Amino acid sequence: MVSNKKNSKKNILSFQDAILNLQKYWSKQGCIILQPYDLEVGAGTFHPATTLRSLGTKPWRTAYVQPSRRPTDGRYGDNPNRLQHYYQFQVLIKPSPDNIKKLYLNSLISLGIKHDEHDIRFVEDDWESPTLGAAGLGWEVWCDGMEITQFTYFQQMAGIECNPVSVEITYGLERLCMFIQNKKNIFELNWNDRGILYKDVFHQSEKEFSAYNFEYANTDNLFKIFDMLEDEAKTLTEKKLSLPAYDQCLKASHVFNILDSRGVISVAQRAEYIARIRELTINIGKVWVASQI
Amino acid sequence: MSEFFLELFSEEIPPNLQINAREKLFLDLNKFFKEHELKVKGSTASFSTPNRIIINFQHISKNVLKKSQEIKGPSVNAKPEALKGFLKSHKIKESKIYSKSTEKGEFYFYNTPEYKINTYDLLKENLPMILDKINWNKSMKWGSNQMFWGRPLKSILAIFDGKKIDFSYNHLKSSNFTFVDKDFEEKIKSFTNFKSYNAYFKSKKIILSQDKRKEFILNELNKISKRNNLLIDVQENLINEITNIVEKPKIILCEFDKKFLQIPKEILVITMQNHQKYIPTFDKNQNITNFFLVVSDTKDLKGYVKLGNERVVEARLNDAEFFWNRNKSQNLIKQLSDLKKINFFKGLGSYFEKTQRIKNLGSLISDEFMISKEKIEIASSICKVDLKSDLVAEFPELQGIMGGYFAAAQGFEKEVCQSISEHYLPSGLDSRVPKNLYSITLSLSDKLDTLVGFFGLGLIPTGSRDPYALRRYTIALVRLIVENKIKIKLRSIINYSLTLYKEQGYEFDITIVIKELNNFILDRLKNYSKDKDIRLDIIESSILSNDIDELYNGYKKAEILNRNIKKELGKDVVEIYKRSSNILNYEINKNKLELTDTVDTGLFKNDFEKNLYKKIQETKKYFLNFDKNDNYEDSLKELFKFKQDVNLFFDNVKVNDENELIKKNRLELLNLLCKSFDNFFNFSKIEG
Repeated sequence: MVSNKKNSKKNILSFQDAILNLQKYWSKQGCIILQPYDLEVGAGTFHPATTLRSLGTKPWRTAYVQPSRRPTDGRYGDNPNRLQHYYQFQVLIKPSPDNIKKLYLNSLISLGIKHDEHDIRFVEDDWESPTLGAAGLGWEVWCDGMEITQFTYFQQMAGIECNPVSVEITYGLERLCMFIQNKKNIFELNWNDRGILYKDVFHQSEKEFSAYNFEYANTDNLFKIFDMLEDEAKTLTEKKLSLPAYDQCLKASHVFNILDSRGVISVAQRAEYIARIRELTINIGKVWVASQI
Repeated sequence: MSEFFLELFSEEIPPNLQINAREKLFLDLNKFFKEHELKVKGSTASFSTPNRIIINFQHISKNVLKKSQEIKGPSVNAKPEALKGFLKSHKIKESKIYSKSTEKGEFYFYNTPEYKINTYDLLKENLPMILDKINWNKSMKWGSNQMFWGRPLKSILAIFDGKKIDFSYNHLKSSNFTFVDKDFEEKIKSFTNFKSYNAYFKSKKIILSQDKRKEFILNELNKISKRNNLLIDVQENLINEITNIVEKPKIILCEFDKKFLQIPKEILVITMQNHQKYIPTFDKNQNITNFFLVVSDTKDLKGYVKLGNERVVEARLNDAEFFWNRNKSQNLIKQLSDLKKINFFKGLGSYFEKTQRIKNLGSLISDEFMISKEKIEIASSICKVDLKSDLVAEFPELQGIMGGYFAAAQGFEKEVCQSISEHYLPSGLDSRVPKNLYSITLSLSDKLDTLVGFFGLGLIPTGSRDPYALRRYTIALVRLIVENKIKIKLRSIINYSLTLYKEQGYEFDITIVIKELNNFILDRLKNYSKDKDIRLDIIESSILSNDIDELYNGYKKAEILNRNIKKELGKDVVEIYKRSSNILNYEINKNKLELTDTVDTGLFKNDFEKNLYKKIQETKKYFLNFDKNDNYEDSLKELFKFKQDVNLFFDNVKVNDENELIKKNRLELLNLLCKSFDNFFNFSKIEG
């Protein structure tokens, strides 16, 4: 494991150090280290540095942390394994390098996970994102039975065939650190090596946002906001402003997620809303690709 | 004779794709060798691991002699251009041809020379095409390459007779080496034959043969469970999957906290089996234990693998326990109105409306079954509430089962809980069929409601497409009725179901629904009977005389006749009927007769007629008093009793009497005879 001299409980890699190590590691592999996107998104994939940059032919290598929001997964901070806000560490490389598995396994070593001491498995996982009009083939990576990473070769994004193909590696940081730190409860994770725990940073937020997501979000307003954002995205797409248009699309997508967690969207409606977001993404994707030539 | 050896090394290919690719490749190579008349001797092998597809033929002839062939050219009388063209297309000189007369005149001929083809060259030229023929159900591209494969293909090792077969396949070039470390792809090693390749991996404890791997895993699982006094029930599909996601299996006995044993066992099993691919264990009383077996793909050097897997299960069970404790105490009745928010299907209302309908259907059926109306109404009302529980969201395959547990936790009566738990059953052809009348009632009303609704919307399955699983529901319906020997008037229930939809404002074309659903159900009964090896003509005849109100009787009669059709009883009954009906039909058609279904006993001329008439009367009485609970074999025997009288009648009486009145009367007698048989069913379509 990576040693840290200041660490009183030695050899325990803190949450923040895990991020630092991954950034350092992927930076050495030629990835530009980006900062999180400044909008609410459901996963690191939604960052334009992944969605839009995976389109077109220009090579691209990036790594970044992305706070991710999944309103329906909130449990008021009561469940040791679930959060409505958590962190993903995302790597995107286009075209996917031949030695990507080796690069990935070495990144685990940078976190103290040695390949020959663990049962590391690449388990079939075909990925699809209906809202992004995206699909890919790959695996979830299991370490001793725990899923620690999603590993995907993008085949399609925003309805467009990927050529060349990007590889996306997404680490679930909390899960990974629970594994490294041998913790059964997310809230007990060491954030740093000076006694600050995950719960000190996020417990109140989980409680309050769960209440917002499940009970207090004003659904009448959110339905209106969704429509407004959709309109804005369409207008901006017509003006060929793919990035601002995509921002509206991300916002709309988050509004939809809150409405969903408020339980006010029926099955049939759900499909309809997803189709609306997908249509925005697909049109934005076309504008973006055209702008790349 | 020389060896052919091929290894395709890739990143981890999922089990199904891997198996399919391996089998297809092996099959195509065999076909290819056969087509080219190459002799194949000795052992052949097709192995796969997640990263490798390996094909080996121990002995193939090094070359093949292509024999001389006689090729027919143009007629000697054809224009000279025709001959020129022939010579050109075969690249031959005129001196090589000769003429010969055939049945169609004189033609030019040409004998191709004998020649040898090297197997090496054949392989070199054709392997890319053979690799292309692998049909991946799902395939992908990677990097900047344009080829498709299950997962990125990294190297092709191809050897014939100890030498590398040199060819290109898309961006890859074949070689005589492979990556021996599947993960880092840093170590390469060359091989010139399968034996050394196999020996190398054996020394690394890697089992290349999937069959040996499976056998090894099963043996180890049995050994370890036996040693620990545990029982295992290894699902075939699980073991097959596990076999194809490891290359050097190691079994590890793990355990979780005993406190989780209070969670419903179905949750424990699904968590371990479906989600984590572990093997749950049971004690000798079939109770689940807190031990489970993990098939790891590595040796657990430091105990991390065991620890990690145990932690994963505990985390998952923690989650499940949290939900279980929360869901089981959520009052089912109070949650009923929440079902209004869950759509059953567009145009068929919410789940709340569905439960209201099946409550009424259940109530009607409970009268027929003479079971408690109150219990079935409660069960119907709450049977769908578990759909909105966290547990069913997490474990969709446990719908119904969880509802049963919640109901039990809240003190509902046993029949209520059991019927909720079983109301999705039977879920397939091999699935268990509930035996309890409450479960049957709930399952029947749920399925009929769905069928009537979807048929009402015109979503009737056509061809092999069945997106809403309506075929499956209907087979379930047939099995519930036939296998439980239930007599139920489906027609009136379907009618009532239509009324219930109408009361809720969903109006359908009643005649179409009834007609289509009727045919659909009978078609499923036909398929079901076919699966039970009942002759098609028999079940079809039975269906003609027994509609959906008589599903069980229809099936039972067909089954009885089918069982006897090759024996004297069955044969003779069919023959008696056929003999009579043939004459009857012939005369009716010939003379355009209209029968009145009455016999004038005054026109009888002999005892043969009288006796037959008497027998008909007796049989009529038998069937009048026939209770549908009676044995259909008896009915068949009753018809068999006609044998003597019918034979005597035909041997001694001339139906075609000169006196038209007597003739007509005799035909009326035969008509009544056939009608007696109709009491069982119409035999006219039975093949003799």
